[in-house]
Amino acid sequence: MSLPGQAPPLVLAIPSKGRLQENAAAFFARAGLDIAKGGGARDYRGTLAGMDTVEIAFLSAADIVTQLAAGHVHLGVTGEDLIRETIADAEARIELLAPLGFGHAHVVVAVPRAWIDVKTMADLEDVAAAFRARRGERMRVATKYVHLTRRFFAERHVSDYRIVESLGATEGAPAAGKAELVVDITTTGATLAANALKILDDGSILRSQANLVASLRADWSPGQRELARIILSRIAAEEEARTTREVSALLSRFADSLAAEAKAAFSARLRFHSSDGRLTLNCPKEKAAPLADWLIAQGAAHVCVAAQDYVFSAANPLYERLIARLPKL
Amino acid sequence: MSFTDQRSERIIAHLTGAGYARIEPPILQPASIFFDSGEDLRAQLYLTSDLSGADYCLRPEYTIPVLSAYLATASAGARAAFSYCGPVFRFRPGQDSEFTQAGIENFGRPDLEAADAEILAIALDAAAAVVRNSTPASRLSVRIGDAGLFSRLLEALELTPQWRRRIARGHSQGKSLDVITSLGLNGTDHSGVLGVLEGADKQGARALVEDLLSIAGIAPAGGRTPGEIADRFLEQAALKAGSGLSPEKRAVIEQFLRVEGDPYQASAQLRALARDAKLDLAAILDSFDTRLGLIAGQGLDAAKLRFSASFTRNLDYYTGFVFEAYEQGRGGQAAVGGGRYDQLPQALGAKTPIPAIGAAIWIDRLSQNGGEP
Repeated sequence: MSLPGQAPPLVLAIPSKGRLQENAAAFFARAGLDIAKGGGARDYRGTLAGMDTVEIAFLSAADIVTQLAAGHVHLGVTGEDLIRETIADAEARIELLAPLGFGHAHVVVAVPRAWIDVKTMADLEDVAAAFRARRGERMRVATKYVHLTRRFFAERHVSDYRIVESLGATEGAPAAGKAELVVDITTTGATLAANALKILDDGSILRSQANLVASLRADWSPGQRELARIILSRIAAEEEARTTREVSALLSRFADSLAAEAKAAFSARLRFHSSDGRLTLNCPKEKAAPLADWLIAQGAAHVCVAAQDYVFSAANPLYERLIARLPKL
Repeated sequence: MSFTDQRSERIIAHLTGAGYARIEPPILQPASIFFDSGEDLRAQLYLTSDLSGADYCLRPEYTIPVLSAYLATASAGARAAFSYCGPVFRFRPGQDSEFTQAGIENFGRPDLEAADAEILAIALDAAAAVVRNSTPASRLSVRIGDAGLFSRLLEALELTPQWRRRIARGHSQGKSLDVITSLGLNGTDHSGVLGVLEGADKQGARALVEDLLSIAGIAPAGGRTPGEIADRFLEQAALKAGSGLSPEKRAVIEQFLRVEGDPYQASAQLRALARDAKLDLAAILDSFDTRLGLIAGQGLDAAKLRFSASFTRNLDYYTGFVFEAYEQGRGGQAAVGGGRYDQLPQALGAKTPIPAIGAAIWIDRLSQNGGEP
C-alpha cells in the first residue's frame, strides 16, 4: 500500500499457511531475507526486514497463481502444478525463476491394481475405447487437475473418458465407485497403493515443486526492478552456496589442460590458483568427492571440501532471466 | 443492424423458405448434455451454476439442444426439419469466443440418400445466399466423404472387432495405417499370459484372471470386471497371433483410403477395388451412386464435388455421408460442415433408431461482401 509520492513497492507473495509457508520462510531466511508478519488486523501483509519498499502478501498457493497471472504481485512462491493447471498461457504471463527444493508433488495417472492388463497410456487408450464401446459410457477420471489431465490425455490420443472433478480424497474415488481411475499427486506412492491403485509406467504428467515465480504482467518500474535484483542476488548467492562446494588443495602444478579436464568431468570452476600452489575450485555438491579423489590422483596430499553460506557473484542469473523477459525501459 | 445480423436474416429466410421451421433452443443449457461429447468440447464450455448447484453452460453448438428438444416432444421419431441461427459460445484461445452459427437438422427421414442430398444443397445455397452474385459451384469448394463406406469396408474385410475398432480409432486420430499396425500390442508385453490364453475360451480366460488377482491379493475393483480384463487378454492374444489383419487386407485398406477426386470416378474405382478383393460393397456403393444422382437432381454439379475416401470427419459421431465447404480463396477453416449422425438420437435417449442428418454454417467464416446492399 504505497502513499502518494512514495515509490511503488515490490510485492512478494508467500503461502499463508502450512508446510509451504514454513518452507518458504525458511528459504528466504537462508538467503538472509527475514519475513516479518504485520501486526494486528493486517497480518495478511508483511515486510522484509531492512527493505521498506518490499511488501509481503500472504496468500493461498492457488491465489498466488492467479495474482501472478494477473500481475497484481511481482514475485511469488507456489507450486508448478498449480501454475500449469491454472494458467492457460503460462509462458506469456509468468517466468519460473528457480525450483526451490520443497513442496514436491508428482502428478500421475493411476488405475486400479486389478487392471493387470493395463500398464501404459496406450493400454489405457485401448481400454477406454473398449469400455465406451461396451457400455456406451465414458470412463470417469477423478482429478482436481482438469486442464493437466485434458492436455496429457489429448497428447496421448486418449479421448474416451470423462473428468469428474474431485477436490479432496481423490485417491478414494475408484473404491467409492465415483470414477474408474484418477489423476492425482503422490510423493511416495503409498497413498495410491493403500487405495489399490498403481501408477502407469508412462503416466507421469508433471514432477512439480515449489518455484520462485515472477509475473511478467506486473508493473516493473526501475525501482521495482532494482528491488528484485537485490532479492534475487541474495537468493542466487544462497542457492549457489547450497548446491556447490568449495574444494581446496595444495597443488603446485595445475595446467590449463587440467582445469579443462576438471570442468569437463566434474563441472568444476577454477576460482583461484596462487603461485605458492594454493588451489580453490567450486563444483556441484555431488561432484565434490569424485573431484577430491581426482585431485589426489594429480598429486595433492590433502583436499578440503567446505560448505559455504553465500556465494555472491557479479553475474546474477536469476535476475538476468527475469530482465530478459521484461519489456525494455 | 450489423453485418452479421443482415447475413443471419438472409440465411434464416433461406432456410425457413426451404421448409425448415426455425427453432431457437435457450442459450443457457444444462451442461451435462454436452459432457458425453468428450473433453475436447467440454474444455471449451462457458460454465455457470445456479443456487441449487446445477451446472449450466452457454450453448457451444446447436445439434444437441435441437435434437434434445425434438426428442422431448410427442412427435419424436416422426419426420421433422429444423433450422436455427444464433450465437454459440466456445472458449478458443486467440479467437472470438462468441460467434454466429446457422444450420439445419433433419430427423426421421427413411429415404436417407434423398435427405443427404437435400441437406447438402440447402446448406450450400444458404451459404451462397450471403455471398452476393455467386453460386455455390463457383464460390465454394466442396469436399464429400462417407463414414459408412469406411465402416462397411472394415466389416466386409471380416476383421476382428478389435482390429476394426483400432483402425477406425487410429484413422480418426489421423494416424497412418503404418502407425496403427505397428502399435502392435500397445506397447505392453504380457507374452506369458497371452501364450497361455492363446486358444483359450472366455470362461477359461476369466477364471485365469480371477486366479491371478486372487494370488496377488487384489480385490477386483474399479469399474472393469475380471471378465472384461480377460476379454482384453483374449483380444490381445488374437492380435498377437496375427489373426485378422493380413498384408492383403491391409493393402486393400490402403488402396481404399487413397481413392479421391471426381465422385463418379471414385465410385467406379471403389467398385473395381471391391471386385478385385472379392468384397461385398454393392449395397453401400449403390446407395453412394443413388445419392450422387439425387445431388445432381438438386441442381448441383456432382462431378465438381471432391470425394475423398479418407475424409470421414469424426468417426465417433458421423455414421454416413459427410461434407465440408470452403470459400475459394479464403483457405483455412470450413465455412459449412455437416453429415449423417444416426447414432446420436439413441445416445441422447431415443427408444428406437431415428435417422438424423444436419449441417452447420459458420457465418463469420464467409466473406463480408455479401452484407453490403
